[in-house]
Amino acid sequence: MFDRSVTREVFEGLGTAGEVVFYLLTLLVTIVFFVGLGLKVRKYLRGRAEDRFRPPADFVQNALRGLISAATGATVAKRDRFAGVFHLAVMWGFVVLFIGTAILTIETDIVGIFAPQYRFFHGTFYIVYSVILDVLGLVMIVGLVALAVRRARFRKPALDYGRVDLEGATTNRGGFAVGDSVFLGWLLLLGIGGFLVEALRIVAHDFPWFEVWSPVGWVLAGLFSTLGLGAEVAGSLHLVFWWGHALMALAFVAYIPFAKAIHMLTAGANLALRSPLAGRRLPVLPATSVAAIAGLAAPVVADGHVGLRDLADFSWKQLLDFDACTKCGRCHVACPAVASGAPLSPRDLILDLRQQADAAWAILAPGAEQRSDRVYGDGVAAAAATNGNGAGPAPWEPTPPGPGGLMAGGLIKADTLWSCTTCLACVEACPVGIEHVPAIVGMRRSLVDLGIVEPGLQTAFTNLAKQGNSFGQSGRTRGRWSDGLPVPVRDARRESVEWLWFVGDFASFDVRVQEATRLVARVFQEGGLDFGILFDGERNAGNDIRRAGEEGLFEVLAEHNIGQLSKARFKRIVTTDPHTLNTLRFEYPQFGGDFSVWHYSELLTWLFKQGRLSAASPVARRVTYHDPCYLARYSEVTRAPREVLAAVGAELVEMPRNGANTFCCGAGGGRIWMDDSGLRERPSENRIREAAALEAVTDFVTACPKDLTMYTAAAKATGHGDRLAVIDLVELVAQAIGLPDEVPAEPEAAPEVAALATSGAPSEAAVA
Amino acid sequence: MELVVLVKQVPDLAEELEIDASGTDLAREWMSFVASEWDEYALEEALQLRDEAGGRVTCLALDTGSVDELLATCLARGADRAVKVGAFERGPDSHTAARAFAAALRTLPHDLVLTGVQAIDDLDGQVGPLVATELGLPHVSVVTHIKLAGSAATVHQEYAGGLVAEFEVDLPAVLGVQTSREAPRYAPVSRVRQIMKTAEMEQVDVAVAAGSGLTIEAMSVPETGRAAEMIAGSPGAVADRIAAILRERGIVKA
Repeated sequence: MFDRSVTREVFEGLGTAGEVVFYLLTLLVTIVFFVGLGLKVRKYLRGRAEDRFRPPADFVQNALRGLISAATGATVAKRDRFAGVFHLAVMWGFVVLFIGTAILTIETDIVGIFAPQYRFFHGTFYIVYSVILDVLGLVMIVGLVALAVRRARFRKPALDYGRVDLEGATTNRGGFAVGDSVFLGWLLLLGIGGFLVEALRIVAHDFPWFEVWSPVGWVLAGLFSTLGLGAEVAGSLHLVFWWGHALMALAFVAYIPFAKAIHMLTAGANLALRSPLAGRRLPVLPATSVAAIAGLAAPVVADGHVGLRDLADFSWKQLLDFDACTKCGRCHVACPAVASGAPLSPRDLILDLRQQADAAWAILAPGAEQRSDRVYGDGVAAAAATNGNGAGPAPWEPTPPGPGGLMAGGLIKADTLWSCTTCLACVEACPVGIEHVPAIVGMRRSLVDLGIVEPGLQTAFTNLAKQGNSFGQSGRTRGRWSDGLPVPVRDARRESVEWLWFVGDFASFDVRVQEATRLVARVFQEGGLDFGILFDGERNAGNDIRRAGEEGLFEVLAEHNIGQLSKARFKRIVTTDPHTLNTLRFEYPQFGGDFSVWHYSELLTWLFKQGRLSAASPVARRVTYHDPCYLARYSEVTRAPREVLAAVGAELVEMPRNGANTFCCGAGGGRIWMDDSGLRERPSENRIREAAALEAVTDFVTACPKDLTMYTAAAKATGHGDRLAVIDLVELVAQAIGLPDEVPAEPEAAPEVAALATSGAPSEAAVA
Repeated sequence: MELVVLVKQVPDLAEELEIDASGTDLAREWMSFVASEWDEYALEEALQLRDEAGGRVTCLALDTGSVDELLATCLARGADRAVKVGAFERGPDSHTAARAFAAALRTLPHDLVLTGVQAIDDLDGQVGPLVATELGLPHVSVVTHIKLAGSAATVHQEYAGGLVAEFEVDLPAVLGVQTSREAPRYAPVSRVRQIMKTAEMEQVDVAVAAGSGLTIEAMSVPETGRAAEMIAGSPGAVADRIAAILRERGIVKA
């Protein structure tokens, strides 16, 4: 259709010397780029081994999913449409411009040299090429301008680089802001420069007809012409601008591995390598570690320190995590620790570890943070020399930490690590697939191994080791909550049942939750469910003990429960506790316990759908529902509880943060046993205030035993207890299906039962 | 510095205690045991002193057939050596225990012997003094703030009314520890398990006469007093009753 004159000269006016200089510079920046990349790869190779590639089918599926989410910008757009759309514009603009440049390389340096007869950069190809590059170049510039405005004008809390753990020290993160501006500004100059060069070329060639297919350049050229720019002047200006543009583009390539721009590679790779079980299934201790060796009865190892103590204890994937971070701050604003004034920010934890690794291993990373109380890269040991109780160092002789010193308890302080609720909000919010929670738990494991344990946690561990529950009550009384039920609960150890109900600690021992537990039993009975429990055969499932870093104790609990479960005869497990659900579902398989596990909200939905439960007297109340972290994020169950609410006739009013974007009550990961008196605002109180702001909502419905205790306390503490009743999902179900109140049975049990029967009702809460 | 800690187990109070058929002892069949709280303080002090002054911490427990975990926990906390003493069917009285510990100590180096000041299962507090008597060593009981100074130690005793006495005691000596300067450190379960599986506990045989001249005649659960009034009912009713009582007694007016 078009002849060979429809094209442009790639190195127009450059001359042989110019071309030689250009190619030498290209060679140089390519070397710098790959050296920079090689330094990163070498850093990852220092990390511990971790298999992310098996089974291969899963790997391919996860990698594809990750790459698609990177390509579509889905993770960036999640909960921030504005950033998502304009980031997508910049990303694809940049990618297409890069491909455009690569095509020129192929045309000039490969086809042009080896097979000139096949040169293709002319005619229709040239026109299509011109249109696409012009449009995408414009798209990129629009995206960049929008993001620059967002950064400068929107005052996003996520983009505030303030730290939460300074404790009197000062810090300078000016380098971060400079880095952000350089990255954005450089891309902008590249985009604008490209169009200027194009426009000058069009003017210099006196507007060839086909260049109208480079619309942005054409319009710009028209403007220049109108302003009096002649073809000759444009020609010489073109050469100057061409060089300017080329030098900036080459320098940009060299700059990529040493700045935020590296996320163009690391973020994609990290998303492709992301594990769908991140946080849900924590790694067992590596075979070289003590616990594994204890299990195998192998001889005592000299060192065998446990957990992520040193830089070299982090896996290559975790080191890649650090490099993927763009400081977008989404984890920072999602984190309940940050919100409550605790000294933990998942963003800063990742950035600290990255800076420490880069500094300790001499990897060039300009624009780093300057802190008054530490020199990054130096060994940090002092803080860990004493444990949380101030006791001495560990009795065994661990090898001294490698470069960079101690991470757990050193660079990352024990208080910071204990602040995490393992709610997974950071992992869920991260657009580049960083897995913060496993890193935090890994460092907690090191603390526990060194005897550095938060006092409340130590009490809980001791109780759990002795009695299998954190309440310090006799493990033999675990099934006592069911005493005096109109229909006794069956013992799954003695008879075969369809459903084994794994009750859990809080549901068994906490007085307020026991009330709900008894209702669950009666509702199950009402629905004709064939179920039983393990009574004193059950122990804490261990989810939060594992997340507190006491892996040995978790193993003991898991082994015990798996032993009990394997002796019982049942088809499926049901539990009211999302924490138990997580570890039974995702972690017990690591220890040979493969069970099908349901949450009671799922089972209740099913019973309603089956018609085995029906709402004879619908509860016509306006309620809000709090998604438990371990249900909505870990197990991704958000519909079932809402279906139950619909089935009982309640009107659901959502809180602003709902579903997978739920806000933690502050109890997870062992936090429920730790001292929370130093917090500025307890996460649970923050959440209750969110619910209290909803109009005319009378009930705050939960589907997690820990939530029930946390929010009952928070509602009282915030003074909302009188108009916002904190109740369990099952309490609405019991009302709707017309379950009669329990008749106080034996006289000696009367006070307890009476208290149980009333303390949930909203009108009574005021009196209490 | 050779530091020796005498440790024992006591019934776990999380369990509901029952009296056996003889009426003179606890029903031990289902009982679970924990380390005696004061012995844990003694061990923590010993570890702290070792970390300051160097030396070795040795833990001694009478071998009642179930002390491996207790001693493994001591090792996991940082004790250097663990020794089982004698062979007993169950924990003996203080006199017998003291004679056994003393016999073992005659074969073991010791500069400072620490023991919990008492234990909840007999509230006797006599093991320390009796061991000191057997060995002819000085003894201070109910001590805190142990400091080593050459061949002597200074310790505190706290009296009623907030008074503190400071003692200097020549070493070797026996001390009954009331509390430690820090809460006892945590022993990670994986370390305890590792030691249980791999470490061989040492054993010292002792031959001692049993008996203290005391016999338990009867053991019983105290009867519930009649002075207490249990208030039942709804929170509102409970509150009303409490308010009424406070008025009756003249604690609040109006």
